[in-house]
Amino acid sequence: MIETGPDGLVIFAKKECPTCNLVQPVAQELANRGRPVIVFAQDDTSFMDGLTVEDDTSLKQSFLHNIEAVPTFIRFANGREVDRTVGWSRSAWERVAGETGLGENLPAFQPGCGSKTREPGVFEHLVARYGDPGLTSRRIEVGDWDDPVETAYERGWSDGLPVVPPTDERIFRMLGGTGRKPEEVIGRVPPNLAPCTVEKVAINAVMAGCKPEYMPIVLAALEAALEPIATLHGLLCSTCSGGPILIVNGPITRAVGMNSGINALGQGNRANATIGRALNLIVRNVGGGRPGELSRATLGGPHKYTFCFAEDESDPEWQPLAAARGLPRGTNAITFFQGDGIQAFVDQRSTTAPELTRSLGMALLAVCHPKLCEFTNALLVLSPEHHGIFRNAGWDRGRIESELHKALMRPGKDLVQGAQGVGEGIDPRRAGEMINKFWPEGLLIVRAGGKAGLFSAICGGWTGGRFRDQSQPVTKEIKS
Amino acid sequence: MTLLLRDPTAEIAPALRPRRPALDTLVGKCVALLDIGKMRGDEFIDRLEILMNARGIVTRRYKKPTNTRTAPIEIIHDITLNCHAVVIALSDCGSCTSCSTHDLFTLDERDLPGVSVLTEEFMDAFETQRRAIGFDGAAIFVPHPMQNRSRTELESFADKFCGEILLQICVAPPKAYQA
Repeated sequence: MIETGPDGLVIFAKKECPTCNLVQPVAQELANRGRPVIVFAQDDTSFMDGLTVEDDTSLKQSFLHNIEAVPTFIRFANGREVDRTVGWSRSAWERVAGETGLGENLPAFQPGCGSKTREPGVFEHLVARYGDPGLTSRRIEVGDWDDPVETAYERGWSDGLPVVPPTDERIFRMLGGTGRKPEEVIGRVPPNLAPCTVEKVAINAVMAGCKPEYMPIVLAALEAALEPIATLHGLLCSTCSGGPILIVNGPITRAVGMNSGINALGQGNRANATIGRALNLIVRNVGGGRPGELSRATLGGPHKYTFCFAEDESDPEWQPLAAARGLPRGTNAITFFQGDGIQAFVDQRSTTAPELTRSLGMALLAVCHPKLCEFTNALLVLSPEHHGIFRNAGWDRGRIESELHKALMRPGKDLVQGAQGVGEGIDPRRAGEMINKFWPEGLLIVRAGGKAGLFSAICGGWTGGRFRDQSQPVTKEIKS
Repeated sequence: MTLLLRDPTAEIAPALRPRRPALDTLVGKCVALLDIGKMRGDEFIDRLEILMNARGIVTRRYKKPTNTRTAPIEIIHDITLNCHAVVIALSDCGSCTSCSTHDLFTLDERDLPGVSVLTEEFMDAFETQRRAIGFDGAAIFVPHPMQNRSRTELESFADKFCGEILLQICVAPPKAYQA
């Protein structure tokens, strides 16, 4: 219990606060009237001369008494708080102290300063140290001389890169990024089909390096991934190289600082890097999808660490991906695409829309295998300069898609198994048909990248996409 | 202050990661005998090696330069490339218990089943280190103290515990030769 003195009068204060210094004569005046006050100093005990000053630089008492500003003047009776006021207000101080004529030389009112307990990052530490963060996940003790980053490696929590140690204060802070309760179950994560709570999402988001403001995006990514049609189970256990590719739309991308511009698909942006990584860590840690065990990719790829980016929505004439997939324009949304790493598309010679369409068609045919058609999906990331060629021709998303599909039609006789001296190919019974490379819904186009460069990118879809009605990309609204 | 982390997993698995399963057989395999470098440990290992060789088990000796550090990476690499299981002995102090448990873990990560031999006094220390690493490492405990024992006594420990040690690294180790 806090030491309150015989009169139960306590001030929480800090030396750097002008109002705390202002009330020093008032505290002295109370003492002179036989009403001693105990001061709990948050930063420095070398002020409030002549008064009893307790060291609260640990902020324990300030935290336990929920001090949000200083000075806070409190009266206790029988160990229980009966009244408090914040800052300096003569009338309020007189009420709390039960005195009159206090601080007559002072202004009637002066606001205080913020408590040190409320400085950035401090409160979460105090909750972890002196309070109850409300976490239920198993505690893992790190030896006094052990490195927590190494502990995470030793326990198999890492994707191979260092993770941020998931301490209570970090997890508590991460949970502050969502209004959802820690115990809420988002779904069951394959391959173990283990239930995943918001708390587990937060722990893995901490380890991935996320900021709390990314939590709604990470949660939506997981929800999208756990839709049965997203086939996460097959994707992560597959011997193919596919992994989650996340495309984020809406104003949230700018709010949290995602990259949709230069090097959008590459390294260097915290949100892009860690949101995608968080989903993969959840799959690894909660779902148990560890490479070599049930995660069986023959080769995998660097995209399986993380692959998440924002679409560039700065062109008002361009319909963003999420809008094309049915959500109102401007909705914060995430699209989960099952795909491989990028295949660069280079075309610095095409100047017209039809020319560029034919050129893209040639490159898109290579997805999975040039002779495999209606076999998987693809993501085409169109750079601003390439998009500009279509834009100048007056082609919108719908026109680009329809023209590309036309350019991707091939005679079945060239694609059947054995044709062109290659065993791989489509069903020989389709030799007489004209076959599209992708189903109409199977080519997703996103606009992203730096303003300079006639370079786009193609991400081939996972081969599970050949089961057209069983495995599809998923778009989900991001809710706070 | 001890740092506490929260488990990011589904907590389906126990807190300790299971160790590599013991080998089905030691035929055609080589067992690393890793002397941690603590005094008198070599006398125990000398006898253990004789007993193992008498059972037809191929062994390869290693010695750490000091028991107070984890094994040099060169030794770890050599064991990984040339051996199939490891016996680490003989820990009878805090630092050697800690370091040898890390060595056991490091080699387990490289697919070598292993066992650490310690004195009974360090049962708790082994358990603490095991828990901190999160690894269900195997151990055999011999009587403590050992530094003031005669060579005959140390050899008798090897005689007594050889069978148990082998069972930690092989499901069906060869039996001792019976005349």
